[in-house]
Amino acid sequence: MSGVKRDRDGNARVKPAPQDGPRGRFHDMFEGFRDELDEHHDRRERIIKASRDVTALSKKIVKHLGKGIPPGTQKDVDSKLEDIAKLLTSVAPDLQSLNRYRYSYSLRCLEEFVEALSFLHYLRHQTLISKGEVDAAMPADISLTPHDYLYGVFDLFGEMMRFATVTTAQMGELVGNEAGRNILSDIHELSCAYEMLPEIPTKDYRGKMEVMRQSVQKVEKLGYGIVVRGSERPKGWIPDMKDDAPAPTSP
Amino acid sequence: MASESTLLDPSIFEYLKDNLEEESRIRETLTQIIQRLERSVASAQALLSRVHSTPRSRYPTLVAQVETAIQEQVSVIGELNELASQHPYYKYNSKWARAIQNAISSAIVCAWLGGLPSVGTPSLGRLLTLEEIGAVFKVPTHLKDRDAFHITLEEYLLSLTDVTHELSRLATNAVTMGDFELPLTISAFIKDLFAGFQLLNLKNDILRKRADAVKYDVKRVEDVVYDLSLRGLIKRAGEGDTEMKSE
Repeated sequence: MSGVKRDRDGNARVKPAPQDGPRGRFHDMFEGFRDELDEHHDRRERIIKASRDVTALSKKIVKHLGKGIPPGTQKDVDSKLEDIAKLLTSVAPDLQSLNRYRYSYSLRCLEEFVEALSFLHYLRHQTLISKGEVDAAMPADISLTPHDYLYGVFDLFGEMMRFATVTTAQMGELVGNEAGRNILSDIHELSCAYEMLPEIPTKDYRGKMEVMRQSVQKVEKLGYGIVVRGSERPKGWIPDMKDDAPAPTSP
Repeated sequence: MASESTLLDPSIFEYLKDNLEEESRIRETLTQIIQRLERSVASAQALLSRVHSTPRSRYPTLVAQVETAIQEQVSVIGELNELASQHPYYKYNSKWARAIQNAISSAIVCAWLGGLPSVGTPSLGRLLTLEEIGAVFKVPTHLKDRDAFHITLEEYLLSLTDVTHELSRLATNAVTMGDFELPLTISAFIKDLFAGFQLLNLKNDILRKRADAVKYDVKRVEDVVYDLSLRGLIKRAGEGDTEMKSE
């Protein structure tokens, strides 16, 4: 059996011509069900679409930030944040009350969004954005779950690692401040905090932990390279990481 | 890290830790309740499976036993309702969805066999609606405006596909026990349900897969009815004077 075909937007569907002849005993009941299910599917598709776009925009923000925050970048980031706000606001009514968790899976963009916000925050303030600060930065009436926050910050490790690699190559030392903190000590501190959390027994969580550890190790290698060969290395040199064990890819 | 600024505000990870610990406590408690629900559902299903070797005259006795088992489910579901309603429904619902579906289908089959007189009018071959299922288990159904425990439309629809499967099996076994009328009732019932499923616009998900399988149940029952008709074992409407005689 096949349902009625619907277009990609999920709304314009060809209504079947009303059938003559006897209607089954449960016809009315199932017609009600059909309307409810259609409503659900339409809602989910709206969310998935917005989520996809928010994910793309968040990734673009992160990419821009890899270059630090010159004024031009700031403008770019702001305009992208505005677009994200519009998208999230458009689906906010679909995500109230019961429906917030119902469509969690379709709304994974929030993790990416948290990642972008946390990276932005780190570059500006050299601190980890708190859940409350992310909540305050949410541009729409959508509640952010602890899960979104936890997993979003997981992705911050990859960004810190990339940022550390690029800046080390440019400056010949690990970025840091006068007070003695640098990106290596920061990534260490953050990863220790994660290690101390109670373990969540899901594959997803274990995978994220593994990727996190790999990012930390890469930054450790950078620090090592500077100490051991610091004076010899020319600007633009980065430690050769090809001889790493099975080259892990970060998210 | 001797500096006035630190990366982490310690309260951030305290918050996350508390959150994770609370979540795992909730999951554990839910698991315990759901395990009891599963056991209780299994015993109702075990009783119901006797219908395949029970002549129709003895349905009332069997149905009464199943009703008692269902009452046990009602009380466990009450506990689940109480706990689950304190948390976002869809955060945990995958944990109990299967058990609830089985509970629903045992109630639907029980009512189909003439049971559960407390809800609606008991008769052989009736279908409990989603609302009636809610009345049986004393929980809300298909909530849209508030976040609390309830029975979802999807769970009800998935249960129906279990029911058609069970009844198609009953059609065969009824014949074996000499009941040639029951397959006709079953056939009409399953066909109407199948027609209902065909009205739905299904996505490529579990519901589509299960709804697609209903046609095999329809076919199984049709085959039984065909066998009976071929051998003249069922009375046709208007039969008697117009029956073809070979002499």
